[in-house]
Amino acid sequence: MLLAAPAVQAQLYQTPGPATPATKDQVQLYVPEDKEIGRISLPDEKLSVLIQPQGREWREFRSHTLRLLVGGLVLAMLAALGLFYLFRGTIRIHAGRSGRMVPRFGGLDRFAHWTTAVSFLVMAATGLVLTFGRPLLIPLIGHPAFTGLAVWSKSVHNFVSVPFVFGLLLILVLWVRDNIPEKADWIWLRTLGGLLDKGGEHPEAGRFNAGQKGVFWSVVFGGAAMALTGYLLMVPFTVTGIGGMQILHVIHAVLAGLMIAAIIGHIYIGTIGMEGAFDAMGRGEVDENWAIEHHHRWYEEQRRKGLAPPPPQAAE
Amino acid sequence: MARMKFLCDSERCIECNACVTACKNEHEVPWGINRRRLVTLNDGMPGERSVSMACMHCNDPPCAAVCPVDCFLQTADGVVLHSKDLCIGCGYCFYACPFGAPQFPRSTDFGSRGKMDKCTFCAGGPEADNTPEEYQKYGSNRLAEGKLPLCAEMCSTRALMAGDGDVLADIYAERVVRRGYGSGATGWTTAYGRRDAGSALAPGGAATGGS
Amino acid sequence: MLKKTGSATPRGSLSRALAGALGDGVSRRGFLRRSGLATGGLAAVGALPATMIRKADAGPILPNVELVTRKNVCTHCSVGCTVIAEVQNGVWVGQEPGWESPINQGTHCAKGASVRELTKGSRRVKYPLKLVDGQWQRISWDQAIGEIGDRLMEIRRQSGPDAVFWLGSAKFSNEGAYLYRKLAAFWGTNNVDHQARICHSTTVAGVANTWGYGAMTNSYNDIQNSKALLIVGGNPAEAHPVSMQHMLRGKEHNRAPFIVIDPRFTRTAAHATEYVRIRPGTDIPVAWGLLWHIFENGWEDKEYIRQRVYGMDEVRAEVRKWTPEEVERVTGVPGTQMRRVAEALAKNKPSTVIWCMGVTQHTVGTANVRALSILQLALGNIGVAGGGANIYRGHCNVQGATDFGLDVSTLPAYYGLAEGAWKHFCRVWDVDYDYMKSRFASKDLMEAKGIPTTRWFDAVLAQPGQIEQPSPLRAMMCFGHGGNTVTRMPEMVKGLAALSLLVIADPHPTTFAAIRERRDGTYILPACTQFETDGSRTCSNRSMQWGEKVVEPIFESKDDYTIIYLLARRLGFAEEMFKHITVEGTRPVPEDILREMNRGCLAIGATGQSPERLKMHMKHQADFDKITMRAADGPCRGDYYGLPWPSWGHPEIRHPGSAVLYDTSRHVMDGGGVFRARFGVERNGVSLLADGSYSKGSDIRDGYPEFTMAVLRKLGWDKELTAEERRVIEAIGGDKIDEVSWQTDLSMGIIRVALKHGCVPHGNAKARALAWNLPDPVPVHREPIYSPRPELVKAYPAIEDRRDFRLVQLARSLQFKVADSDLREKFPMVLTSGRLVEYEGGGEETRSNPWLAELQQSMFAEINVKDAERLGIRDGAWVWVHGPENAARAKVRALVTERVGSGTVFMPFHFSGYWQGESLRGNYPPDTDPIVLGEPVNGVTTYGYDPVTFMQETKVTLCRVEPA
Ligand SMILES: Nc1nc2c(c(=O)[nH]1)N[C@H]1C(S)=C(S)[C@@H](COP(=O)(O)OP(=O)(O)OC[C@H]3O[C@@H](n4cnc5c(=O)[nH]c(N)nc54)[C@H](O)[C@@H]3O)O[C@H]1N2
Ligand SMILES: Nc1nc2c(c(=O)[nH]1)N[C@H]1C(S)=C(S)[C@@H](COP(=O)(O)OP(=O)(O)OC[C@H]3O[C@@H](n4cnc5c(=O)[nH]c(N)nc54)[C@H](O)[C@@H]3O)O[C@H]1N2
Ligand code: HEM
Ligand code: HEM
Ligand code: SF4
Ligand code: SF4
Ligand code: SF4
Ligand code: SF4
Ligand code: SF4
Ligand SMILES: [Mo]
Repeated sequence: MLLAAPAVQAQLYQTPGPATPATKDQVQLYVPEDKEIGRISLPDEKLSVLIQPQGREWREFRSHTLRLLVGGLVLAMLAALGLFYLFRGTIRIHAGRSGRMVPRFGGLDRFAHWTTAVSFLVMAATGLVLTFGRPLLIPLIGHPAFTGLAVWSKSVHNFVSVPFVFGLLLILVLWVRDNIPEKADWIWLRTLGGLLDKGGEHPEAGRFNAGQKGVFWSVVFGGAAMALTGYLLMVPFTVTGIGGMQILHVIHAVLAGLMIAAIIGHIYIGTIGMEGAFDAMGRGEVDENWAIEHHHRWYEEQRRKGLAPPPPQAAE
Repeated sequence: MARMKFLCDSERCIECNACVTACKNEHEVPWGINRRRLVTLNDGMPGERSVSMACMHCNDPPCAAVCPVDCFLQTADGVVLHSKDLCIGCGYCFYACPFGAPQFPRSTDFGSRGKMDKCTFCAGGPEADNTPEEYQKYGSNRLAEGKLPLCAEMCSTRALMAGDGDVLADIYAERVVRRGYGSGATGWTTAYGRRDAGSALAPGGAATGGS
Repeated sequence: MLKKTGSATPRGSLSRALAGALGDGVSRRGFLRRSGLATGGLAAVGALPATMIRKADAGPILPNVELVTRKNVCTHCSVGCTVIAEVQNGVWVGQEPGWESPINQGTHCAKGASVRELTKGSRRVKYPLKLVDGQWQRISWDQAIGEIGDRLMEIRRQSGPDAVFWLGSAKFSNEGAYLYRKLAAFWGTNNVDHQARICHSTTVAGVANTWGYGAMTNSYNDIQNSKALLIVGGNPAEAHPVSMQHMLRGKEHNRAPFIVIDPRFTRTAAHATEYVRIRPGTDIPVAWGLLWHIFENGWEDKEYIRQRVYGMDEVRAEVRKWTPEEVERVTGVPGTQMRRVAEALAKNKPSTVIWCMGVTQHTVGTANVRALSILQLALGNIGVAGGGANIYRGHCNVQGATDFGLDVSTLPAYYGLAEGAWKHFCRVWDVDYDYMKSRFASKDLMEAKGIPTTRWFDAVLAQPGQIEQPSPLRAMMCFGHGGNTVTRMPEMVKGLAALSLLVIADPHPTTFAAIRERRDGTYILPACTQFETDGSRTCSNRSMQWGEKVVEPIFESKDDYTIIYLLARRLGFAEEMFKHITVEGTRPVPEDILREMNRGCLAIGATGQSPERLKMHMKHQADFDKITMRAADGPCRGDYYGLPWPSWGHPEIRHPGSAVLYDTSRHVMDGGGVFRARFGVERNGVSLLADGSYSKGSDIRDGYPEFTMAVLRKLGWDKELTAEERRVIEAIGGDKIDEVSWQTDLSMGIIRVALKHGCVPHGNAKARALAWNLPDPVPVHREPIYSPRPELVKAYPAIEDRRDFRLVQLARSLQFKVADSDLREKFPMVLTSGRLVEYEGGGEETRSNPWLAELQQSMFAEINVKDAERLGIRDGAWVWVHGPENAARAKVRALVTERVGSGTVFMPFHFSGYWQGESLRGNYPPDTDPIVLGEPVNGVTTYGYDPVTFMQETKVTLCRVEPA
């Protein structure tokens, strides 16, 4: 609504002026509208916003951008991994399995990981139901069934946030020491972790290489941001008005997209992408050769501490 | 087919809240749900104007576009209704709505904010007209009785008008010409667009983003 | 996108209605009726099958149960909007717009749109209650009436009838008000009052002393004819919202200047073409300042003044003092603006002046009213359609309750209290004058003004010698009052504590019930609202409207008629009191009461409004024109809507009522009139009668005195009286038949004959610019007692201290004491108070209504942005507002706004249930506490009374605001 000065003037003088419309078709019904905030007697701040055309951008984001973004990221990641797989195949343990195992993640470590991981996957799935249900699921299962699913997804999404955050905190406490960036990470990054080196030459790495540290910090910061924005979405308008809520939602959703894509990559590496990797989280111990190739420095440390079996007598 | 719209002539509105109360009365709307509300701009200063706002029943309604469960419908005469059976209380319609129309019984989202409620243009919901179920969920269905929204019918100064958009525009224009001033129909540009393309969601209308 | 299933898209009957309307090229008006935009609403749907129109079987409306529509009138303000109730199984299930009402034409404000809630009544008093040692006990009606009666009789024996204060209500119907006045008379006291005292008593005194009657001269609708509107001290956008419909139409259609004079930029001011901010309490300087420009430029209507106004020269002399400079110094309004306003009024005639509490509720209330009346006389605007003094009355029936005598200074219809008046009513009531006299403590007290409601607690706390009656007040019978609505509440609370008996008859417990200081001797009788009984009410424009009972009284409540009857019976005078009123069971029949009123209230022409005619008007509302309010058709053809008084003579002569008072352009039988000859025929050798001005078609083409038998005889018209009329007159007059006047002639023959000759029975006089019987015959400015400008106090002092209404009135002594002290430093801001649209009066009723309560959830004080900054107060923060008397203080929220000017604080007065920061919620009887409670502003308001009526000063005092 525009309280154009001429309109007020016209009203004050009540005499036809140059701005006074003389015929009905000169009357302006449609006027430029910008955000309008006024006073309201109801004790509800957000209702004092009369018009928020900005909702348009959010609508655009929610109805189009978000789906393109998340869908795009996920598909792009899958495509990239697919291509990579075709090009590189599973990264083998260069020296083959030694058969001797080095303990890598204890029970608590694995509990933390899987709590986080499962929660995350559930949250991603339930979140994506909301994002993609309308174009993908409603045509398949119909409105009532989808509402049922959506309600269920929503509460699961809300409740599973608790174990997710719990797992996140545990991971943070357990692994933060080993994820402090160091010089070696730089080299690792420069060579892309030897990823492209079919010869299996891996740059030196401690317990976690730079890539894993990246995952770690992405999960920690990203997860924290998801949790923060998520909880604020859950108690709407407690700290911010409508504009703020829109921004929170955008952050939450964009991060969700990025994290989901990233985690798909992580899962790839942890499973078919790399021979022997899964054991670390599955059994809690890794093949010695895997350890030597991927985390040589860590392997040395473990050995020094007597946590790893002594090296076999060199076969040469 | 008439295209139902609201027009609040802010030169007339005196912030008497009759429209708000009439709505509460007609539909027994509970405390905390404000299907209609009054906002005063430039409070206490020359140029102070009040506007009575509810759902404007937009062309191409943003609420409907963002609803994850797709529970909105638009009737042939442009009234935007939604299904409380399908609504999951996510609150997205409120973020998208330019006018703050959707209302929720609870403020938190844990579980759900409850079924969204908003102005129905006194046209009930998707249920069959004037059934007890319809009343219970959406309030009465005056349109089906051949009456117009009570808020507009009771407006103390005839500031708030409801009915066929063309007629409203005509009355408004006539008023402006007669009195010589008027600062546009609040919300019309945002809700109905400059080119009145008709109801995008109405049967046969252009589809909206999303589905 | 979903599709509405089944028969969704056709949208039932509406689309068909619209299709028809548009397709057949029905006029826009025709469509609008359907669209609810113009008038008529449902009419267009009449063509549809009946089943489509009714809510088939939805919601609270049950299928296959008969749905009855009943018509009543909104109980919240004097606009008098028609309420259409839909009733099923005795339950009020729906409210529809009253399209046919010429007044509201389907519309309402928030309060009117919410009245259905009143009969749902979750917070209502449900059964009689008694306070025993601080606890509320449920008792039966029998026990309640029995105990109350016993206590009253005991007090009467010990202290005389004047020890009981009978407080009636402007929420009563006319019949209820009349009956209550009659009750007080039979009890034997004039200590009977109602809200007009704190509302429009100064208007009544002011305008009645100027031109004859204490009422709004024109109507809301008539403002559509105005070419300029001046609104002084009124905020109709909140207080009379539906009137704004007519005002804005007038403004828009006539491009009329819309001028608002108010210390506060109100919601009304938001629509003004000119807003004049004045210092509170300076309306006389403003009026005189406008007249200064008018006289200076010769804009006054000289011929009108010559013919119809007495004493304008004395006014000129006073006005001369109010030069633009002096006006600006006192009021703060620049001379250029004053001139602009004066010119707008003078050059756009007819111009109307509208006023309300900003004018009346002052220590100079009556003088304020007179100053504005004189302004209108100078412009020749009185008695003219589109002009007039449009004094917006307060409660839904404050006009009627005043008319029918709920007042300490008069019997019904302004007959006064002199012997003649008593004798007239004894004849009307068919009781012996000596019997009536025996009910009183003495003949003197029978003819002495009683104690007004603004001062009842002073009369409780007075020592026997300080009060001009045998005993201080000991009991209060309080029907329909908020309790938080008189100023000086800290002292009111003391008075309340000292009463030995307090009886509250009200649908809600009221503030009186929640005051901690009382622990015993309080009774609450559940009265029902006007929606649960029937009777007539008079709205601001004097139209009388008959309200039909919507539902039976809910819970154990009873209507006012029944409660009054039960009391009268217990007190032993029901036989006499209800001699000519049918009582069904214990309920007097309101139609019968109205018939008795019609018989006796000749003086204001409340005789033509028989119950039959009033009901006919309600039934045929649609026939009345929406601007002239005259029926063009149907059985009421020619009548003005609601027969606005005066509607002279017997109902059978079908006087149409008077839409515009004192309108000489019409025949008296056509609603015309002249100024009333009330103050004699000459003074100091100057005639007081009109000079060459008379109403159209009058046989006397000049001024004339009021009609008496003597006058009739002189004119030779007495021969036209019928034998029966003459018999009645002789019976009344005895050997002094010449003294029988139009007012006392119960045959109404004198009136009939006068009308036949085109004469107005009350005579044809000049209006008085000079009212010699008032303390200030020509209004003069007097600073408020708590003036923020001590330096002006010596030049414009308050009136001398005096005695009236059986009590002492302090004025100048207190004012000088305040001016000479350092109060001004301790209380640097001016406090004024007023209304919010959502709440009414003390607010117990409206704050109990969830639909309204939600909209205003806390008590606040409006504080200017600059002041707030200076004091470090945020919008919405808690503040203490301190008052200068009794160490009073109130804790409220700050509303930081430009509405008030710097240095001024505004607070609404609708709140109670908190006291100095503490909640009183627990003190209300269970389940009756209003939803929203708040601090009453009258906890901090102060002393100050108008000398003529003892109107309280609510609009100017001093205060200090501190962050809490
Ligand atoms: N919503 C609502 N409507 C009501 C009522 C209600 O309680 N609520 N009550 C009814 C009753 S009983 C009444 S009497 C009427 C009253 O109706 P109004 O008189 O219109 O209402 P108020 O708000 O008391 O006062 C009107 C204005 O007087 C201004 N004022 C204060 N001091 C001065 C002064 O010294 N000079 C001038 N010129 N103006 C001043 C105030 O700022 C305020 O804006 O409303 C009736 N209608
Ligand atoms: N500071 C300040 N004080 C003011 C004013 C102000 O402007 N400022 N305004 C003053 C004015 S103008 C007025 S009129 C007063 C208003 O003050 P009050 O008259 O005291 O306030 P209300 O709440 O209107 O009181 C009406 C009561 O009548 C009851 N009632 C309703 N219907 C019926 C009925 O049919 N029968 C009976 N027996 N009772 C019924 C209601 O429940 C309510 O309790 O306040 C005055 N006080
Ligand atoms: C179901 C699929 C998953 C598998 C198979 C998997 C597998 C693994 C494996 C094998 C490791 C150990 C790598 C190593 O030995 O250093 C690991 C580590 C980790 N995982 Fe997962 N994971 C999965 C899902 C997730 C999810 C959903 C998250 C988080 C949201 C996550 C977060 C982490 C983190 C932070 C680490 C430590 C850093 C790192 O090693 O990269 N994982 N995961
Ligand atoms: C503490 C953690 C989290 C909380 C409290 C949380 C909360 C929420 C909330 C309240 C919403 C709004 C949906 C609604 O109200 O119906 C939401 C949406 C969503 N969340 Fe989360 N969330 C959390 C973590 C995550 C995680 C880890 C993901 C996955 C990667 C995720 C993905 C999504 C997605 C995809 C949406 C839907 C966005 C849309 O379609 O508009 N959330 N979340
Ligand atoms: S006003 Fe809001 S709720 Fe109504 S149709 Fe438009 S976007 Fe939807
Ligand atoms: S709250 Fe209901 S209607 Fe609104 S977007 Fe969510 S599901 Fe749709
Ligand atoms: S159209 Fe009906 S539902 Fe909508 S705001 Fe008006 S009264 Fe309420
Ligand atoms: S009823 Fe009319 S005038 Fe009153 S607030 Fe609503 S729109 Fe404005
Ligand atoms: S309060 Fe007054 S203006 Fe409002 S609906 Fe009632 S009578 Fe009409
Ligand atoms: Mo009043």
